[in-house]
Amino acid sequence: MFAMQPVKFRRHRMQVLGVVLALALSHRALAVPSFARQTGMACSACHTVFPELTPFGREFKLNGYVLDNVTQVTGIDTSGSQTLSLNSLPPVSLMLQVSYTHTGTPLPDSAVSGALAKDGEVLFPQQVSFFYAGKVANETGAFVQLTYDGAADHFGLDNTDIRYAHHLVFGGANDNNHALILGVTLDNNPTVQDVWNTTPAWGFPYSGSGVAPGPIASTQVDGRLGQSVAGLGVYAWLDDHLYAELTAYTAAIAGGAHPLDSTQSNVAHGLSPYWRVAYEQRWDRNSLSIGAYGLKTDIHPGNGMPLQGITDQFNDVAADAQYQFIGEDHLVTLLATYIHENQTLNASVIDLFAANKDNALKTSKLSAEYSYQRKIGGSLGYFNTTGSTDTLLYPVAAVTGSATNNPNSSGYIAEINYLPWLNTKLQLQYVAYDKFNGLKANYDGSGRSASNNNTMYLLVWLNF
Amino acid sequence: MRKAAVIGIIVCAAIGSGTAMRVAGADSSLTPAQEATLKQTLYTCGVCHGGNGQSVSPTFPNLAAQSAPYVSLQLHAFKDQSRADPDAQAYMWGMAARLDDVQIDALAQHFANLPAAAGVPGGAALIAVGKSIYTLGIPARQVPPCATCHGPKGEGIGPFPRLAGQHSPYLLKQLLVIQSVLRTAPVMHGVIKDLTRTQMDAVATYLQSL
Repeated sequence: MFAMQPVKFRRHRMQVLGVVLALALSHRALAVPSFARQTGMACSACHTVFPELTPFGREFKLNGYVLDNVTQVTGIDTSGSQTLSLNSLPPVSLMLQVSYTHTGTPLPDSAVSGALAKDGEVLFPQQVSFFYAGKVANETGAFVQLTYDGAADHFGLDNTDIRYAHHLVFGGANDNNHALILGVTLDNNPTVQDVWNTTPAWGFPYSGSGVAPGPIASTQVDGRLGQSVAGLGVYAWLDDHLYAELTAYTAAIAGGAHPLDSTQSNVAHGLSPYWRVAYEQRWDRNSLSIGAYGLKTDIHPGNGMPLQGITDQFNDVAADAQYQFIGEDHLVTLLATYIHENQTLNASVIDLFAANKDNALKTSKLSAEYSYQRKIGGSLGYFNTTGSTDTLLYPVAAVTGSATNNPNSSGYIAEINYLPWLNTKLQLQYVAYDKFNGLKANYDGSGRSASNNNTMYLLVWLNF
Repeated sequence: MRKAAVIGIIVCAAIGSGTAMRVAGADSSLTPAQEATLKQTLYTCGVCHGGNGQSVSPTFPNLAAQSAPYVSLQLHAFKDQSRADPDAQAYMWGMAARLDDVQIDALAQHFANLPAAAGVPGGAALIAVGKSIYTLGIPARQVPPCATCHGPKGEGIGPFPRLAGQHSPYLLKQLLVIQSVLRTAPVMHGVIKDLTRTQMDAVATYLQSL
């Protein structure tokens, strides 16, 4: 996942942004060897198959990334209080993704009318990320990702989550006391702080092509604000069962004009509250979680319009569920999320970015994953987005647009994964669209069908 | 937003000041700093082994009522990496790397003093076979009774671990990794070298039921 788009993208219309964001957000990355170095534990302690977390991995994150088993550089003051506790070696690591993408039908040349772009694309790298991921001080840790994106030729701050976590126990004796973690998160992407792989930032698919066409629309909580906001929130995790969080986000866009002005786009106005509740039950080798989350945000469309006056309002409400079975040889994960977004586009209607004042956008994602001995496995996923027809928001355009002015898109994702080592993944992924931007056939009015965007994607993913 | 964070920290501090984590059989000779470290360490142990020493997942053994000398020996073996079965490497080498002798003794004592997990019923036929092997051995194959070292009810004796009420998948896995010498256990290598997987499963199922 990369942080920012080149400025030129921000000057385009919303539908282009939608596609670009969909492409950008197809990148996923987490699973950091510096955590393994810091804890002395194998990747398998925290991950089923990276980046998906095990129950222990969730505890590690909720505890602020601080569990350590390496020599510390320490300091105390004259009262004996600790003033420093730092890993003797910095918890840094590197991630490299090299990929090959092949779409059903080549895309049009971006400059020569009627010509086609190259059929098949190797990205070396698709993405290179540097991480600082680990303890900063007692009860404080950081996950900081700096990413170079090969397609965008851009280097910048990617997903970042800095957190403080305090653990305490209260109540009765050992067998009936309560364990509580109270934490604070400072992050730059709604849901990047979450520990279940159902929410968008770390949801399935964990990696995808950076160059294949993507559907025109996605909800705000589904990545549209990633790396363009800053959030400060508090969370509680009670008895390994109940999770609750409230985080407020505000615009924090890197690059482009500063202070933020009309040349930016999709700029959050004021504070946007993000909320999250979840309940997890563990038994034997199983865990089941159900939850809900949401984001309410006021947005200045920007795109040449001043960041003043009336705004668009987006209210995202989502439900999610996750099941995991972690056996000695067999691992199974089921993931589900449903996001409902109500849009009140007061500003966009005036600015002629949208025709309707009230729109809705609904996204469903389901996936099932299996792994044998964490070495070989596969996944099947289904995705479906439906929404209101809007002549201005979803205009007709070759490849990226919609002849019916409708964002409805759905399809399937199949993956085969082979991990010769716990930190190395070789992946073959196929994305098949049943519907793309409203239709199955000739969806863009230029003769392109949804299946023309079907994508075969080969990935080499190394973490070290 | 900042107000919310500040409130969170205040609530956290307020509840934290009233914490009542009890360390079972806590050694009064521990300094306050050692007590604090032990509490934090016990919390970490509890993530996998359960806050009360009774784990949810059979990947991780129950430690409640485990023999203190056994826990101490194993923690030292994880620390010096002489116990090297796959899960030991994946989980416990890191966990035990920075434990000192005082902490190891305190942890061992803590778990020994916790109430044992209740037995889990299993298939009657398998349990009968397991009980026979456990209490009588298999004389024809020179397999001695397990009870000789582990106690008539699997309660453990000194360095020989408590087995009663332990997760059967965990026990089976240990028998397998000991038999294949992925986990070094000199006495056990000879004792179980001829046990079949079915026999191991029977013994494990019996012990889990105790």
